[in-house]
Amino acid sequence: MPKQVMDRSASDNEYLHRDFHGALSSALIYLEERFGPDAVRDYLARFARRFYAPLRHELQQRGLPAMAEHLRRVYEREGAEISIDLSNDEMIVRIEACPAVTHMRQHEYEVSPLWYETVRTVHQAVCEGSPFTFELVNYDLETGASTGRFSHHRSASGEEEEELR
Amino acid sequence: MISCTEFIPAYSELFCYLEERGGRDEVLRFWEHLSDHFLDNLRELVTQHGLRGCWMYWERTLNEEAADFTMELDEAAGEFTIRMRHCPSKGMLLELQQAGRIEPYHDYCGHCDVLYRRVLEPMGYDFAADLTECERARCSIVVRDSRER
Repeated sequence: MPKQVMDRSASDNEYLHRDFHGALSSALIYLEERFGPDAVRDYLARFARRFYAPLRHELQQRGLPAMAEHLRRVYEREGAEISIDLSNDEMIVRIEACPAVTHMRQHEYEVSPLWYETVRTVHQAVCEGSPFTFELVNYDLETGASTGRFSHHRSASGEEEEELR
Repeated sequence: MISCTEFIPAYSELFCYLEERGGRDEVLRFWEHLSDHFLDNLRELVTQHGLRGCWMYWERTLNEEAADFTMELDEAAGEFTIRMRHCPSKGMLLELQQAGRIEPYHDYCGHCDVLYRRVLEPMGYDFAADLTECERARCSIVVRDSRER
């Protein structure tokens, strides 16, 4: 039987290995079972604060358009439908179906019950230290479809001030 | 969602997190868990196709990860090898470290040795990983069918 050889350089392929979603899900399940749900949030927040430091800086400097560009890049690269309604003080993000969840369901990877924390906790951590907050308005556990809202602190406090006058 | 293109730094941070919580043993425990619960596809391919299953498994993963590598399958000799000229995962971590964004887990590459050895050795294969150049994002693995000797 002849020897088989495959030789590849990095430029021969696009970097997109979707099975990594399954590995992360497996890790979150492990963390939750071993240390509890707060460990999952703690780990994700810590990762987000460090890894997304440049995005956090951009969010502070340029505001919500920086977050919108990041989300479009991430979701569109994985083939997801994303809609973003952006105003000065608020941004509503709707995801038709989470591409990670879609991939995991198709390939029979177990989806962590806390997978939504990769949205909620991660976005909240990215917002820390900025004038913005993030709220996960709804999330479908089966498909990962979600609606999230980024809003400026002053939206809420401004309304309160209006009411106080 | 954390993009699958951002998984590697998340993975490395997880190893750091686990080590802080429970020391090196906690990291090893997780790697063993992942090997037992996440690598069923490799296990099934090798069960069905023997050494060729290794080729089938890494053909897909290394191409999707855009690795720079040479892979050889010599079924007559009972040997499968990967020579990684540039590992995209370790390469990414080194770049992020240089940019000051994260400090990679000190034994990041060790997970490959633990995960794959734990699948292949019980199936009758010798697994050898040379990680001596992993700080340059280079490594090699050799899988030999121990029944061939």
